[in-house]
Amino acid sequence: MKKWLGIISLLFIFLVSVSTPALAQKAPAKKPAAKPLGVEVIKFGGMGIMSGPLSICGRVIMMGAQLAIEEINAKGGILGSKCELKFMDDELKPAVGVKNVRYLVNEWGANFILGVDSSGVAMAIGEIMPEMDRIYISTHASTDRLTEELVWRKGIKHIFRTTVPTYQEAILPAMIFKDFTHIKRWAGINCDYEYGYVSWSLFKETLKKYRPDVEFVASTWAPFWTMDFTPHISAALAANPDAIFSTPWGGEGVQLIRQALIMGAFDKIQLWWHPTGATTDFLEAVTSEVRADKFKGKLWVSGRYIHNWLQTPENKGFVERFVKRWAMYPFHPGQGAYDAVYFVKAALEKTRSLKTSEVIKALEGMELTTPAGHKYMRPEDHQAIYPTPAGRPVHDPAYPIAVVGDFKMVPAKEYFRHPPFEPIKISK
Amino acid sequence: METLAFQGLVGLSLAMYLWLLAAGLTIVFGVLGVLNFAHGSLFMLGAYFAFTFYGLWGVNFWLSIILSLLTVAVVGYLMERLFLRYIYHLDHAYQLLLTFGFILIFDDAVKMVWGGVAKIPAMPSFFEGTVSFWQRPFPIYNLFIIGAGILVALVLWLLFEKTWWGRIVRASASDREMASAIGVNIPILFTGVFVFGAMLGALGGALGTPVRVVAPGIGAAMIIQAFIITVIGGLGNLKGAFVGAIIVGVVSAYGILLFPVFELFLIFVIMAVVLMVKPQGLFGG
Repeated sequence: MKKWLGIISLLFIFLVSVSTPALAQKAPAKKPAAKPLGVEVIKFGGMGIMSGPLSICGRVIMMGAQLAIEEINAKGGILGSKCELKFMDDELKPAVGVKNVRYLVNEWGANFILGVDSSGVAMAIGEIMPEMDRIYISTHASTDRLTEELVWRKGIKHIFRTTVPTYQEAILPAMIFKDFTHIKRWAGINCDYEYGYVSWSLFKETLKKYRPDVEFVASTWAPFWTMDFTPHISAALAANPDAIFSTPWGGEGVQLIRQALIMGAFDKIQLWWHPTGATTDFLEAVTSEVRADKFKGKLWVSGRYIHNWLQTPENKGFVERFVKRWAMYPFHPGQGAYDAVYFVKAALEKTRSLKTSEVIKALEGMELTTPAGHKYMRPEDHQAIYPTPAGRPVHDPAYPIAVVGDFKMVPAKEYFRHPPFEPIKISK
Repeated sequence: METLAFQGLVGLSLAMYLWLLAAGLTIVFGVLGVLNFAHGSLFMLGAYFAFTFYGLWGVNFWLSIILSLLTVAVVGYLMERLFLRYIYHLDHAYQLLLTFGFILIFDDAVKMVWGGVAKIPAMPSFFEGTVSFWQRPFPIYNLFIIGAGILVALVLWLLFEKTWWGRIVRASASDREMASAIGVNIPILFTGVFVFGAMLGALGGALGTPVRVVAPGIGAAMIIQAFIITVIGGLGNLKGAFVGAIIVGVVSAYGILLFPVFELFLIFVIMAVVLMVKPQGLFGG
């Protein structure tokens, strides 16, 4: 009996000694202030292409979102809740994208999904967002169908986009180059998937409206993983075009223009429109060619954001912080991701709730001054409205790599399509 | 007509990268009986090493290519000695599993060492410029690639048909046991042939460095075309690989010019027709 008493009392002392510090700790700490959003952490699930020739575009999405999150967390988060990013590779495959979203939402607990480079992936995940009951903000994928068809026509309210769709690659140049009356014959070297089909069709349709005299003399198509564009370039040049319109992007875009240079294309044509050329990887890769004037001023580029265009304090500060954080100049998918996080922040501060339907309402019609300028989230199609110019790669001694200069501007409301979005005849 | 001839020339330069890749694949299969799925990865490693020597460290272009071949030779040697050697006697399915595993390992290793972002080094200045064919400029570099491809074909032909080493390799390919019985050291020969095949693949990758993209996954993207070529030409047949590569390269180029809408489909049609008419391939026996 005595023995038992001893054991029990020892056990008691042990229990008390173990639990006391815990009690002692708890007692003086006052109850943490309730977070208005009800969560410790707001989780952003990001996606993009993280491997292969196009991977710089996925990485820059991660960089932009991460920078925004770090800035917000340094200032105490959103209404006291910290933000967190988990980024996944979608391999440009719609099935992988859908699988990732399901994982990010169901397993990891993502509150928001952002990113995606490929239009095919964006369309696939856009369709499942209502089922996931989460908002997806596209920051790069640019088929107009994402906002025109899925949001406006089908009414999937869970999709938003912070960057310009293919209006940038297709309508903007049509409105600029319509005035180049000496250019009559256009050839296309385009991506053999959604993005290429939409851009080329939209460009042809728009330009034809202003200039019934232009001809489209050749179109060639290159799938993902094209490593040699010489047959495409040669086939396009065989039709004696005045100008070439090309959509391959990332490392593939650099290869295309490089191979066009060594094939002497810039001696034969008057103009080359390469709408994804305002990206940092592209400008870096052609820096020596730009300095040597190999393009003879014939290469025209754009992007959905150009880091040296706007001289606003928002933009200057953003570029400075981005370069400091990532040792690279920002370009559009990353800038779009940065804006996506800030759009969410502004919406949550308005709703003080993570309820998807309320956040959607808050985002609709929201206006935000961002490094890319003033963005207005059009309520009908959830597309951010803002302009970015076209220009030519130039050498500017203030920068170590080529930058875009000779800007040509068209106001956003002129080159963006508007509801009711007359259908575009899309063909290969 | 001139347009067709010019496009054919473009197709020929496309074909030569494919030929260098398919040659190594088919030699290794012909002699060792191993279908090396990871052969494309050796092509990719060739490109990465050439990029490292030439693009990063500023080594002379020619020396970079030689160094890249030697480095890949070491990789090939280790692959054969430590792994492939132990599965020669097993079913092809095991070889596919092992070599497919190597694709994943090499792709991830490359991502760890060089990062996932594509590398695009500058072109060596002596290759800049064009020559005129049918009044159209054709890049000197592509001409060089065509020359290099044909040269490799000649060297391989001489090596296998005219030298003592070639005779031994051919003898071992047709009857491994008999060759062993008359004193050929089969294990050493196999290592040698595998390393040789690896270097051929690496040469294709290394030569593409100044004009093509260097990125993880390019090997897996290329290997499919190499398989199509060997199916068309006959698996294990060098002449078949050469002809097959030219067919695939030139048909792709003409497809892009003449049938842009279903160009990708053309190669598969040709492969299907060859399989139906001559399942062992054009030069297969």
